[in-house]
Amino acid sequence: MTDFVVPLLAGADVWVGKPLRPRDRDEWASALGAASLPDVNFWRLRRAQLLTAQPELPDPDVDELSLWIGLHNLLVFEHPDRARVWAREITWRRLEGATRTLLTLPSPEDTPTLVARHLSVGAFIDLLRAEVIVATPIGEVRLPALESGRRFLRGASGPGREQSVPWLPQPHAPEVERLIEDALRSSPLTCLLRPTLAPGGWSPLLAAELLLQRPWARAVCHAWATQKDWMLTGGAVMSALLPSLPRLGGSPPPAGTLDSGTRPALPEAGAPLALPGAVVPCDPQALGAIVGALIHLHLLKVLELDTRVGLALGSREPGVLAFLALPLLLPHLSSELGEPVPAVAQDATSAPVVRRWTEYVDHLAELVPRSVVENLLATLVGRIVKPA
Amino acid sequence: MAHALLEPVAAGQTRFRMQGLASDARGIAIGREVLVVLPSIDALVSFLGAYSDEASLDDLVPTMTLEQAQRAGGGHATLIRCSSSDGYAVDRLARLATTSRGQLYTGGGSLFVRWREREAPFGYDLADAIQTVRDEVIVADVDFLARYTTTHRMDPVDLIQRLELRPVPIPLGGVSRDPELCGLKEMALVLVAPALAHRVLRYLWRMELPMAGYYARLGNDTQPSLLLRLRQPRPRALDVLAAVPGIELLAPVSSRAAVEIGWRHPVQLASAQSCLPGDEMFLFRGRVARVERLDGPPRFVDGRHLVESTAGVRLREIGQLRDGELEPLRVELRMRPSALAREPKAVVIAWEQVPLLRHLVYMLPPAALAAARIVPLEEGLVVLAGPSSLGRVAPTGLGAGLLLPLGRRLGEIAPGVLVPDGHELWPRVRPALLRHLLGLQAEDYALYLSPDTDPIRVRVEQLRPLDAAVVGRLTLDDAAIVSPQMPAVGVGTVRNVRLSRFALWGFGGLPAGGPRPAGEGES
Repeated sequence: MTDFVVPLLAGADVWVGKPLRPRDRDEWASALGAASLPDVNFWRLRRAQLLTAQPELPDPDVDELSLWIGLHNLLVFEHPDRARVWAREITWRRLEGATRTLLTLPSPEDTPTLVARHLSVGAFIDLLRAEVIVATPIGEVRLPALESGRRFLRGASGPGREQSVPWLPQPHAPEVERLIEDALRSSPLTCLLRPTLAPGGWSPLLAAELLLQRPWARAVCHAWATQKDWMLTGGAVMSALLPSLPRLGGSPPPAGTLDSGTRPALPEAGAPLALPGAVVPCDPQALGAIVGALIHLHLLKVLELDTRVGLALGSREPGVLAFLALPLLLPHLSSELGEPVPAVAQDATSAPVVRRWTEYVDHLAELVPRSVVENLLATLVGRIVKPA
Repeated sequence: MAHALLEPVAAGQTRFRMQGLASDARGIAIGREVLVVLPSIDALVSFLGAYSDEASLDDLVPTMTLEQAQRAGGGHATLIRCSSSDGYAVDRLARLATTSRGQLYTGGGSLFVRWREREAPFGYDLADAIQTVRDEVIVADVDFLARYTTTHRMDPVDLIQRLELRPVPIPLGGVSRDPELCGLKEMALVLVAPALAHRVLRYLWRMELPMAGYYARLGNDTQPSLLLRLRQPRPRALDVLAAVPGIELLAPVSSRAAVEIGWRHPVQLASAQSCLPGDEMFLFRGRVARVERLDGPPRFVDGRHLVESTAGVRLREIGQLRDGELEPLRVELRMRPSALAREPKAVVIAWEQVPLLRHLVYMLPPAALAAARIVPLEEGLVVLAGPSSLGRVAPTGLGAGLLLPLGRRLGEIAPGVLVPDGHELWPRVRPALLRHLLGLQAEDYALYLSPDTDPIRVRVEQLRPLDAAVVGRLTLDDAAIVSPQMPAVGVGTVRNVRLSRFALWGFGGLPAGGPRPAGEGES
């Protein structure tokens, strides 16, 4: 706890050592409790307050403990001393399986659990890696930092200097690449805040419950707005959302509607067998909350005067185009979602905002192909607005 | 249906039916020359005047010819022909020609077509070839063809010199009301009739006006007239001169031309230097309707050489001075009451009132407080308004002496010499002499603290700044650095603890209830 969890949450040196076994989790689980981990609770609260002012957090439970152990073991795969360990390859594979077991957690059922998962995984993807740069006759060599000082390389001219680099963008071992997806999948809120990192198959509907609450919707929108490529962020959310939106009244119903009793038709003989993708059942309210948040992101950027749509012109990615088309759907969605700005300025202060928003929407209408808007009208709008 | 003689030039068209047309950088068809057809001489004068107001006639005159022409089929016209430089200049010519009831054509030789207009922004080209006839100028418009035969030519330089001046009103109150309007503020030329020359010179000499002049013979006059140059003349003298018959005031409009006041030349002569050839001086006289050409540039002679002195007295040197006999003249410098109000430059505050001064210091404006100096004396504390009383720096704002309602006020009768308010030194000698008589050094003060006592001398090093004297020593507290109440949340850094060789001890068996690791169990 003091070497890994507290530094991970607080932002200090996170020490990675010997992998932890699943049976350790069972031993420590009995000691879990609100009063037993005052440091961890304090730093969980501090980190949650980065998102919203008064977060509601559950006490650490066995799932969160599994998550911490899994994250620790994940980092072991990139330990610089891995080659020294006397173990067969099968043992490392067993370690990977055990870590995956630890990271595979049930879907969070309520908002506090969602947030608690994000605290660890969000801190994990922001981690830095300490590296030692050693000057050698063939140039500078970067090596991961070790506890007691790395042995001098042959020919190195000195102890070298230390530098911290972001951990996630670096090239990783294959096991780590696979396990990162598992870690991210365990925290839907992290995927919602950083949709460009989200693993395949993730859907924003998994965290839509948060967006139905006003403080969290505001926190998520502002977190999106602070990112540099906000269009890519919005596009990634839409890309993840679009697979949940098959055409209404068209082909087979999504797998999420299995509980209604119908089964998807079997593929023809000889056709490649494929399982239908994990389609999350979409609630009109949840879908409206996501779309509303994305439209609010447009409004935030209009207020920031940062809507340089010209940058997105080169992007023909369907997700980005769908994201840019969302404000054009407002005439159809306003009955459910409301208007981001009043149609007529109420006073002198709102007049420039209304004018800028109108200009922005007009600009988008020229930019976005008509087919994208019609596609969204066919798939998205009907799921949010009930036909009269 | 009438057949159009011209057709508009298309954008980007480079080949034309009419010879001599070429497209310029903007794609406008333009010929070597332009021809302005004006209905009369009056329109010609208007055109030249308007052009000289906007641009320099010197650009136009070298290639310009003026022709009086007769139109085939009846009628006359005045033709201006000049070379065309670029499209922008021709556009200006066309605009001015239209304003002067004329029309501008472009082309070359004896054939010209209409210049561009709204319907044909790139100009016109001939619809069909037109045969030209020698000694004829053919002007092709959209719907008519005009042939002009030149009857006689005019020299533009000669024309400009012969133009009649136009009267303009003089300010109602005379020239002195607004010399600038008449163009006489900096310099005036005065043309004096021969008979008045001596009297005018005598008047101006008596008025001590700086002048220069020379005698010039005008036209067929038997006696030379006097031409005077007055620099920055006094308005009153101009009024006197303007009212005298036989004297004409001329305002210089360029270095070699002057126009009589009350008249204006139709053409801006300042922009038509080439119309005044040679180095002669031209005087345009409106009242007598003549243009005087003075031979060569004017050679003005200073005024003192033009007047002759008739004084017959001779100066006599004085001999021995009788300084010793001045003794009965000597008087004593006394102090006497005076009703003359002076600004108090210092106050003498008794020591009992100094605590009050301490409170009043807070009310002094910063400038007054910074400038105030004090001199602690036995009789009290003297507060001087500042070193500015010696005249080195002009005092700004109110001084401390005026603002402090305490003590006895001292006024300054000479730089650095302060006497009680309501008194003065008698007789009133020069301030510099007074300082000399008191034996004061450059920055010393002499203070008469009361009317009955002798003055005291205060040296500059005895003055102390008031603000430094009243404010005691300040002590600074060291700033206390307060650490934030809550520690900041940062980003963690991965560091590695050394792994032992048996780090994976315990993973040899399959974990209970866990999935099989990737790649295991298929076989």
